[in-house]
Amino acid sequence: MNRPLSRRHFLSLVGAAGGSTAILQTGLALGLLPDTGPLRLADVQPAGNTNKRVLVLGAGMSGLAVAYELERRGFECTVIEASKRIGGRNLTLRSGDEVDEMGYSQVCEFDDKPHLYFNAGPARIPGHHKLVLHYCREFEIPLETYVNDNRNAYTQDDKAFGGKPVRIREYVTDARGFMSELLYKAVDRDVFDRPLSAGDKERILAFATAYGDLKEQGRYSGSDRAGYKSGGFVEHGELKDIHELSDLLDSDFWRYRMHFTEGEDQAMPVMQPIGGMDMIVKAFGKNIRSPIHTNAQVQSIQLQTNGVDVIYNHKGRRKKISGDYCFNCIPHHLLSGIYNNFSKEYAEALAAVEEGHLLKIGLQMKQRFWEADNIYGGISWTSQPIEQIWYPTHGIHAEKGVMLGAYTFGEEHGQFFERMTPEERIKSAIAQGEKIHPGYGSYVDCGVSVPWARMNHQMGCNARWSPDLRDSKFKLLQDPDGRHYIMGDQISYHSGWQEGALASAHHAMADMNQRILAESSAATATG
Amino acid sequence: MSYRRMFLVLAVAYIASFTTGARAADEPVIPPDEFVYCTVCHGVQMKGNPNIQAPRLSGMDKTYIERQLRAFKTGWRGTHENDLVGMEMRPMAAILSDAQITAAARYVNAVSSEPPPLTIDGDAGRGETHYASCAACHGAGGEGVPAVGGPPLTGLNDWYLARQLSNFKDGTRGSSPGDAYGAQMRAATATLMDDVAIRDVVTYINSLQSR
Repeated sequence: MNRPLSRRHFLSLVGAAGGSTAILQTGLALGLLPDTGPLRLADVQPAGNTNKRVLVLGAGMSGLAVAYELERRGFECTVIEASKRIGGRNLTLRSGDEVDEMGYSQVCEFDDKPHLYFNAGPARIPGHHKLVLHYCREFEIPLETYVNDNRNAYTQDDKAFGGKPVRIREYVTDARGFMSELLYKAVDRDVFDRPLSAGDKERILAFATAYGDLKEQGRYSGSDRAGYKSGGFVEHGELKDIHELSDLLDSDFWRYRMHFTEGEDQAMPVMQPIGGMDMIVKAFGKNIRSPIHTNAQVQSIQLQTNGVDVIYNHKGRRKKISGDYCFNCIPHHLLSGIYNNFSKEYAEALAAVEEGHLLKIGLQMKQRFWEADNIYGGISWTSQPIEQIWYPTHGIHAEKGVMLGAYTFGEEHGQFFERMTPEERIKSAIAQGEKIHPGYGSYVDCGVSVPWARMNHQMGCNARWSPDLRDSKFKLLQDPDGRHYIMGDQISYHSGWQEGALASAHHAMADMNQRILAESSAATATG
Repeated sequence: MSYRRMFLVLAVAYIASFTTGARAADEPVIPPDEFVYCTVCHGVQMKGNPNIQAPRLSGMDKTYIERQLRAFKTGWRGTHENDLVGMEMRPMAAILSDAQITAAARYVNAVSSEPPPLTIDGDAGRGETHYASCAACHGAGGEGVPAVGGPPLTGLNDWYLARQLSNFKDGTRGSSPGDAYGAQMRAATATLMDDVAIRDVVTYINSLQSR
């Protein structure tokens, strides 16, 4: 059978081996299926003279977006925020900022310089996060690219390479070389059930050669992609030694870290606002005219037939406020501690979603030692609890820099740090960093830790939806209970991302708009 | 549902509606600024938040609250490696001065909320037998015996009671040297053979709330 390998035929082969998920992902890669589509802003009709009142609970990204959009359309909005500041988990720490951790209030002791800041919450904006980018454009927030991937950074694994750090460049080059060599030999020796056509065989061998930088007869014998041991400019370049395949496999790096930036959300280039992620929060704060009450803790949310009543404490007094609609981005797991009359199913769904334990540590370094080590931005990965080290893209060649000293994805690693005092966390993060950069600790001026599961008024990040829970509860929570909408990244398929928060806010506003239109047309019909 | 159980639920529901109605005149207590953070986890009026395993504390005995805040502060509670929830609590107590501990206990004692919902459905009859040895320190009606330092057991979340009994039993709580009351509870829970026994005794304590 010598017919050409069409994309659809290839998909059917892949599908047989990998199931429908493989088809979907491969289809996306081949451009056969639509991507995330155009910018979808909620189409909300002006309130006109209906004088609709909207209560916004929580001044996180979704709450701020709702207040900004609806007040511009004539809705009367009030924002009620429990903490001292707006922005929720969009938190940039600078000199003198308070870190409001439960029981361990810290003060950020970074030097007072524009480039010495730490994005303790969201830190990257991918190109397809259209709503975040829309607001950056609307508020004229200057952006710069953020380096999320750097082959000169390191991977360190206690179980491989004797625990020594290895440049990602070397690891990836050798891994690709070995895998390409395997592919080359398999194709060359016709090990498949069905023979490939001569043309296809030729091209796959050429592909493997190019992909892995193979030499004659498909042999991998090292590559300048891994970098030179010495020379390369005015002297003959000496190639780096090849790592043992067994070492590559002993390391966990290939499981997901090596492929981290293959994902659409992490792929280069990503962006960041110049001066800190909270430039977005500041812009919302500057542009919203509606009252935003901070230090105002919600006590009760009561759904009524045609609206929502909210009681909150503010400045030592108990206040009641009523709205036609309520948009709520309070963390879902805190709502059962607040009086409410949600339906049983809705309350149970809110309780069913678990909270994650993401944690970040920021370290101010006396010197940007990593730049002397050829590292300009990007991430080093380790099997230790700190998991990652980020090198700042901003402030290149300045004297000092704030680097990320830990970002824990695993719950176990998050809890490892949560149990410590802030001082112990910094000490531990330094000791772990030493395995990647000897002398690491000697550069540290000061550090700050942000364990989101211990942060006041948050107590968790991020909402963890299992596939079963998605099937059974997501739609229930995405839909309103009465005239109450729960929203935020927690009610999105992008939990932990600002785009999820904004998409959820726009989804809720669009839903409200449909209801208002339906009600007014019903009123016209009967009137 | 057995008739006995149904009666129990109806009785609790009736009393809950009565007490809620009676309390409507009560002005809810606005927490002092320094204790607002207590309500972030323990809920409005300290009514509890099972989602994050923070128990209801509304109206709890002042002496007992003070003692437990001190236990957290000294590390009798919240230091065992299996006690993740206790470890979450400990830093909050560690920052409190003696005067603040007294003030916090006064605040907790002053607030009220409706009785906690019943979530554990064991055998109250068997539980009553187990409870016989508890009564000396906690009172026949679970009202507490201040003279021997036994706190009231009514008004607590049943899931919280069960977790604490299990913690005492396996040594997660009450193992610290110097924690005399904890040691007593360690000995007392040794008579509860398994999780079923714990559920049964908690079910019996639930029934005391309605008397």
